[in-house]
Amino acid sequence: MNKAVGFCLLIAAVASARLVLAEDARQIIAESENRSRSKSQQYEGTLEVIGASNKVSVKRWEYRRIGSYGASKAILRFTAPAEVKGVALLIVNHTNRASDQWMWTPAIERDRRIATQDRSTRFFGTDFSFEDLEERDVDQFDYKSLGDDTIDGAACWKVQSKPKESKSSQYSSSLVWVRKDNYVVAQIESYSKDKLVRRIHYGEVQNVSGIWTPRTVEVFDANRKSRTVLKLEKLEYNTPMKDEDFTLEALRRG
Amino acid sequence: MTATPFGVDNVARALLPVLLCVPATAQNFSQRGFLETDLSLYPETVRNDSSHAVDGSLFRYEASYRVLPWLRLAGSFDARFDTHEQVDRTARLDWQDRSLLRPALSARQFNATITKDKLTAQFGKQFIRWGKADILNPTDRFAPKDFLTVTDPDFLAVLAARVTYDAGADSFDFVWQPRFTPSRTPLINERWTVLSQAVAGVALLDLGSRFPGRSAFGARWNHMGSGYELSASFYDGLNYLPVFQAALNPLGNAIDYVRTYPALRLYGADAAVPLRWFTVKTEAAYYTSPDRRQDEYVIYVLQFERQIKELSIVAGYAGDVIIARTPLLQFSGELGFARAALAAARYTIDSNRSLALDTAVRQNGHGSWLRVEYLQAFGQHWRATAGYSWIRGDNRDFLGQYHRNSFALLALRWSF
Repeated sequence: MNKAVGFCLLIAAVASARLVLAEDARQIIAESENRSRSKSQQYEGTLEVIGASNKVSVKRWEYRRIGSYGASKAILRFTAPAEVKGVALLIVNHTNRASDQWMWTPAIERDRRIATQDRSTRFFGTDFSFEDLEERDVDQFDYKSLGDDTIDGAACWKVQSKPKESKSSQYSSSLVWVRKDNYVVAQIESYSKDKLVRRIHYGEVQNVSGIWTPRTVEVFDANRKSRTVLKLEKLEYNTPMKDEDFTLEALRRG
Repeated sequence: MTATPFGVDNVARALLPVLLCVPATAQNFSQRGFLETDLSLYPETVRNDSSHAVDGSLFRYEASYRVLPWLRLAGSFDARFDTHEQVDRTARLDWQDRSLLRPALSARQFNATITKDKLTAQFGKQFIRWGKADILNPTDRFAPKDFLTVTDPDFLAVLAARVTYDAGADSFDFVWQPRFTPSRTPLINERWTVLSQAVAGVALLDLGSRFPGRSAFGARWNHMGSGYELSASFYDGLNYLPVFQAALNPLGNAIDYVRTYPALRLYGADAAVPLRWFTVKTEAAYYTSPDRRQDEYVIYVLQFERQIKELSIVAGYAGDVIIARTPLLQFSGELGFARAALAAARYTIDSNRSLALDTAVRQNGHGSWLRVEYLQAFGQHWRATAGYSWIRGDNRDFLGQYHRNSFALLALRWSF
């Protein structure tokens, strides 16, 4: 009897410890999100796409976002090279499901909805997939703490995240490194059935308007062995923006 | 058919005070354009066109300026030249796009966009695209085309006022087009007009086009649901594809013909439903008319779309149901692609190279078309295209009649 009670207590202790760890992991991600929360964000991005043969092509886009996580909306518009100038993507994020995305191609004056099953595709020749451009809302994943680690000399929490059933994703799991000093995400490795698909590394962390922000984002595509380095320039937070500038109509009018 | 002189100076004078009172900043002003030269090589000649090579050059400049937070002006200018006289040789700035030849100098679009909360109003010459299908759009009635090369049409802008109310999940689009813009149909003395043996040796006298004076109106409702989109549309206006009315001339030595544009009313619907494995898109329109010169029919498209890594595939079927047919000759730019299996595929090799394939195969087997194109970008500004369009079939079919028009295309574009 005593043995049975002891065993039950042990099970309960392990379960609650797991719960605490899971809760801790979730809290780390939630805190990371809270600290990067803003009413709006805008920047000019320069992307260097470096192919497996080290051939470099440069692209530029302008990014504007209103709201933070879950309920945010963003428009990303290419400004270079000349060939793709004006091509734009509208991302409408949701708290309970995958984002809605539409792409505008000015040469044919048409917008096209990006279907959920197409989100694993690379976005316009970069190493970002369409899914990588949507915001990860804390409630769409389950978390597990994997202890401590170091990225670029900074102490980090290592957290495993798995998408909930309601969240359709190309990735079966991700490892997220969150810096202990400022709660900035330092790296994300995304896997499909235990095989590394993409590694996103965040560097040059600076405080911009009170928000610790990485100014470079490097995406490594493990299949293609290519990488894209995004540099955030003219970064601003909380500039006044209107909801009406994040609609399909706004996407079309540029 | 006469061209009304465009008061460019007057418009510029009217806009100048508005433009000067707001300093232009890089953020408010954007521009882009390109210079492209393309060479089409036709292995075969045809009865009314002995050329093997056609070279064309196009310079396009597009600019957009946000004068005020709620007002944006946009314009686009084309300058063209070609070796085959598809382009007008007179240096006149055209804004109407009503000519048979492509204008040498053209105001491709010019418009003002006013936004206020959920309302957007756009006035001027503009592109209006309706529908969701990718290969053939039966509901796209404010989008006349340049069909001088039938298998490679280009859209023309229309002079219109467009008001859009965007209420989140639902949007409403109202368009009034006061001035008609026709599609540009193949030239009678060139290879994309296939003349019947019955008129061989008979002189054909072009008496021009009779443009109706009436305006056109259209309305469209679009709903974005969770996991689907659907639209319903209505159009009351004119068919931008001409009906040719021909008669033996009084002297009996030639056939006179004139292009007319019958009234057209359309009821349309389209939908897109992303499913687990592919996206289904469908579009259908019922064309009717009080004008007896206009055929009455339904065109529908059902297509499936899938992206597999870098490969994008669209495949579907376009069908029609003819309800009433007139004996008059009408250019079949749309019905000619119906009753056919249609497909398109794009493969992105890397950030600079891609391969594209488009095809249409008529269900009766009398006509088919296949186009393969390879695109290669060089650095920030240059792009080269090499492709081949292969057309097979026989003269009974709209596509098949162009079986001697297979051609290779080489194009070089410098964009800025």
